[in-house]
Amino acid sequence: MLLTRKSASAPAAQKRLARGLAGVLANTIDRRTFLRRSGIAAGAGAFASQLPFKLIGKAEAAGETKEEGSKVEVKRTVCTHCSVGCAIDAVVQNGVWVRQEPVFDSPINMGAHCAKGAAVREHGMTEHSHRLKYPMKLENGKYKRISWEQAINEVGDKLLAIRKESGPDATYWVGSSKHNNEQSYLLCKFVRLFGTNNTDHQARICHSTTVAGVANTWGYGAMTNSYNDMQNAKAIWFMGSNAAEAHPVSLLHVLHAKEAGAKIIVADPRFTRTAAKADHYVRIRSGTDIPVIYGVLYHVFKNGWEDKQYIHDRVYGMEKVREEVMKWTPDRVKEVCGVSEEDCYKIAETMAKNRPSSIVWCMGQTQHTIGNAMVRAFCVFQLALGNIGVMGGGANIFRGHDNVQGATDIGPNPDSLPGYYGIIPGAWAHWAKVWNIDLAWLKKQYASEAMMTKPGITVSRWIDGVTEKNELIDQDNNLRSMVFWGHAPNSQTRGKEMVEAMKKLDLLVVIDPYPSATAAMAAMVRKNGVYLLPAATQFETSGSVTASNRSLQWREKVIEPLFESKPDQTIMYLFAKKFGFADQLVGKKDGKQNIAVVNDEPVIEDITREFNRGCWTIGYTGQSPERLKLHMKNMHTFDVKTLRAKGGPCDGDYFGLPWPCYGTPELKHPGSPNLYMTGRHVMDGGGNFRANFGVEKDGVNLLAEDGSYSKGADLTTGYPEFDHVLLKKLGWWDDLTEAEKAAAEGKNWKTDLSGGIQRVVLKVHGCHPFGNAKARALVWNFPDGVPLHREPLYSPRPDMVEKYPTHDDKKAFWRLPTLFKSVQEKNKDISKQFPLIMTSGRLVEYEGGGEETRSNAWLAELQQNMYVEINPKAANDRGLRNSDYVWVKTPTGAQIKVMAKVTERVGPDTVFLPFHFSGWWMGKDMLDHYPEGAAPIVRGEAVNTATTYGYDVVTMMQESKTTLCQIEKF
Amino acid sequence: MISARKLVITVAALAVTAGLAGCGEREQVVVYQQGKYQGKPDTKPWDNDPGASVYTSSKWAKGDQGGWETALKSRTQNQNEYVRIGDQ
Amino acid sequence: MARMKFLCDDERCIACNGCVTACKQENEVPWGVNRRRVVTLNEGVRGERSISVACMHCSDAPCMAVCPVDCFYHTEEGVVLHDKDMCIGCGYCFYACPFGAPQFPQAGAFGMRGKMDKCTFCAGGPEKDNSKEEFAKYGSNRLAQGKLPACAEMCSTKALLGGDGDVIADIFRNRAIKRGKGSEVWGWGTAYGKPDHPQQQAPTGAKS
Repeated sequence: MLLTRKSASAPAAQKRLARGLAGVLANTIDRRTFLRRSGIAAGAGAFASQLPFKLIGKAEAAGETKEEGSKVEVKRTVCTHCSVGCAIDAVVQNGVWVRQEPVFDSPINMGAHCAKGAAVREHGMTEHSHRLKYPMKLENGKYKRISWEQAINEVGDKLLAIRKESGPDATYWVGSSKHNNEQSYLLCKFVRLFGTNNTDHQARICHSTTVAGVANTWGYGAMTNSYNDMQNAKAIWFMGSNAAEAHPVSLLHVLHAKEAGAKIIVADPRFTRTAAKADHYVRIRSGTDIPVIYGVLYHVFKNGWEDKQYIHDRVYGMEKVREEVMKWTPDRVKEVCGVSEEDCYKIAETMAKNRPSSIVWCMGQTQHTIGNAMVRAFCVFQLALGNIGVMGGGANIFRGHDNVQGATDIGPNPDSLPGYYGIIPGAWAHWAKVWNIDLAWLKKQYASEAMMTKPGITVSRWIDGVTEKNELIDQDNNLRSMVFWGHAPNSQTRGKEMVEAMKKLDLLVVIDPYPSATAAMAAMVRKNGVYLLPAATQFETSGSVTASNRSLQWREKVIEPLFESKPDQTIMYLFAKKFGFADQLVGKKDGKQNIAVVNDEPVIEDITREFNRGCWTIGYTGQSPERLKLHMKNMHTFDVKTLRAKGGPCDGDYFGLPWPCYGTPELKHPGSPNLYMTGRHVMDGGGNFRANFGVEKDGVNLLAEDGSYSKGADLTTGYPEFDHVLLKKLGWWDDLTEAEKAAAEGKNWKTDLSGGIQRVVLKVHGCHPFGNAKARALVWNFPDGVPLHREPLYSPRPDMVEKYPTHDDKKAFWRLPTLFKSVQEKNKDISKQFPLIMTSGRLVEYEGGGEETRSNAWLAELQQNMYVEINPKAANDRGLRNSDYVWVKTPTGAQIKVMAKVTERVGPDTVFLPFHFSGWWMGKDMLDHYPEGAAPIVRGEAVNTATTYGYDVVTMMQESKTTLCQIEKF
Repeated sequence: MISARKLVITVAALAVTAGLAGCGEREQVVVYQQGKYQGKPDTKPWDNDPGASVYTSSKWAKGDQGGWETALKSRTQNQNEYVRIGDQ
Repeated sequence: MARMKFLCDDERCIACNGCVTACKQENEVPWGVNRRRVVTLNEGVRGERSISVACMHCSDAPCMAVCPVDCFYHTEEGVVLHDKDMCIGCGYCFYACPFGAPQFPQAGAFGMRGKMDKCTFCAGGPEKDNSKEEFAKYGSNRLAQGKLPACAEMCSTKALLGGDGDVIADIFRNRAIKRGKGSEVWGWGTAYGKPDHPQQQAPTGAKS
């Protein structure tokens, strides 16, 4: 019997076990347990395809591929989740991804991973995969399998018909921060060749306010320093960032800095896991970041801690900000944000007396109707302390997705061609030349030249592009088709209105490895007119990806595309063929072709080289595929704290050639790890603030003062940006070669395709091509030049709305009417019915809309329920207990059913919900609406089903961090 | 909390008592004997030829325990970012 | 002589669950079996601390002592393993283990991965090293590949250390000196006491 002791070789027992295992491999999970644990209530029959058997089945499969002597290849790739850029070695055996190994050599993550990074291998598993496996079409409310040929033809015909009937602007194309640089760039071009600016991607709803706010303050809209450089900081202030969950590996650098004595401060409405690691935590009222920053700055100015020389030399308009700051007396700060004078003083003292000090912000500051002002206020704080342009200082703005920085820089944006050239006629001329296409042909693709230079609708507002009254929108026709090319619908606010827009569309196309949230929402309200196309993941193609610190890393292709999926660049090419602009997409004209095509797949390296030849503005020119690949092979030669290679084949380069990496690859610019750093020569990655706003304003000098210049520059004072005229005036024109002269005549540093102007300015004269100017504390071209506090549209404090009202309504803003004051006034007393502040954020296990990560059993097991964090007081006042289901109700009339998590992480006036869930709709599981076998393992209510109206006054960023709700027992 | 802790200690103590009866304290702690293990013998890690597994990264000679330990020790330093950063 | 140990640095652990999924991924551990878990105390309030817990590979392992079929063994490098062919899944080791390490797969007595499953320190089991049989029953054998457990090697903040106790003690000691405070990870005061509650102060003789 079983209880008898067995000898070492017990054949009978082994057979029994083997039988047991075999049974397991077939089908033996305890469904009830799974149901209970995952909180899913649905018919058992519907579950067959949803159960996470793959882990069990796969154990055997991986073992089989482990036979001795079989060939093993190691492919170096980069995690596809957040923007830290953690390198991964994928072990591939006979074409199967069988292991993943840490890359200890990476200077960025040194082998470390969070839950998501340690689980990426799931992408390569085929058994019981929850991916979309083949093209599908919605017929009578059910998704049916179709062929690629049918899909391209039917979708293509419909889009061409819409373009013919209603013009190209009746289509909308949402791109993706999950695309690599090459795909983002190609999609930007693709949409323009179709003839519209109606395209956008995740950056709109994550850091658009940062990009606009920061670029207008000092030049470039990006993180100034790096995760690594935070090791050099002596104090770090996180506000609106929960890096421990959203960017876990960044904490490796932060905690290392803390170990070396750096002080960590966290100001947030929630006591986050980042706060748990802080020396000092301050709870603030959501949406009152500006008063908190000014409350701190008040003590800086009062005690004379500001860097007066730095402000004199390098900052414009600080005295105007100071006037506003000094109005924020401690009493007033306390009244508005609930932060005490002691707390403000302590932050001020810590940041001032422990310089260089750094700041970090994320969505907590950006996703507000005044997000652009919040981020500028935080920038001004750093300028006052002289912390920008120094190692260990900077504005460390953590981006969200793995390539959201790259997609922002060179991807599908409604108001710009790649490289922030904008959509002015000069930009079109520049890019038509780079793309090797006929500008006259391109103009004909558009409805008119006016539409060509008019920014498109933003992704945050596409629903209004569909549903708004036609006479109120600033284009001929409403949107009739939507293409979701790698974007989750549940990451956008006003979900309740979104399904109405989905209902109204003529055509909805989803191109994604995991298209199920969009697919299910659409199938809930439609019977047909929806197409799903399976895209390959980033592990099934190659290309470059830009981490938050502007470093580019090259991903090798790990495995071939699984199932019937195709890489995005191939799908673009197939559609381009259908639309009749395949040659333009790959720049084939006059016997020249920019991008080679192999089996309908545009060659990735050629795409890189094409944007290398065009993106002079932000220095995406020096990062040739060859240089990037060399960095990936020689990671161990890069220093962790400086990111610089010591010796070896990359000697002197900064890791990943962080942009700007000016000039041609041959110039060998090392990249710029810390922006605006005057302490270094420009050819060592140094620089200064950008001259982008003229040379003077109202008689005040906007250029840097005498004596403020980057190390070794021939010009020892401020100077404007370089063009052929300035070069000639300075007598530097003859430093150009004859060929460069021919190319540079009539051009500036951004449009000279030879790179000669940049070469001469940088290498010969040690100056910065974009000039040397002051940063702007006062951004006069924005609605609030000096950042001002304004209450959110749905404010919990009618008395504060009185004192700090929002902006006036706007007409034809990004083609749409946009409401501010009228919404706020209408809802001034709404807090009587909806008294709780509702905010949202990330969990470490999931990412973005969450379809992908909730389809990964290793991650899904760790977070099985959508929940709301509620303070014990608020819970007890409502008779709620931990793990109860509750209704979260908002002023839109939406209500979502989630589990209560009673915790003191939030204060009694605030509730927090994670934003990664989808698959339930106001109390109902949407499982029946999913394409078969492609529903994620864990489903739950999307917080954005319930979020309210509200958009940033500059960039159309959605307000998702401060709104109101009420919570009731289910 | 306290009661839980007591419970743990009690259970652990019981367990230790049972263990002691079988093997004797000194041997158990210092020498890793197989005890009364009745199962299959297991190969020692260093008795594998490093080339036997396609996933092997470190190097040692088959049967060379010291070599295996040295290889592992050096790999352990990957968990020490001070070494990679170079400020130890 | 190496002596394999884990150590989790609570000053560093951010409860990111990287160790948990690293383990799941490396060993293809089924849903519902958690060889490693992150435990958080004082969640959401000042003093919040997390550590990652798995089998501690005790020197005098209670599981081993109580097992009625004696299926446990200590490897020479100090890892506690068991033979799943002998294990009867009685759960007595579950009683004995102070850390909740033994896991019992959900689908009956002959469930996935045998009757009882636990952390192997990525050292597989008594099957042929790195064979498919070993992987199917126990998961990866990284020690036989000259590597250390995936959880420790992939920890996001290098909070979780795994390897020869002597070596990881050195790594930890160095950090403690840099920090300039106590070398202990969990004294009584840290683990159970809240600084705000003097009545929960450390018992006499305890550390910290």
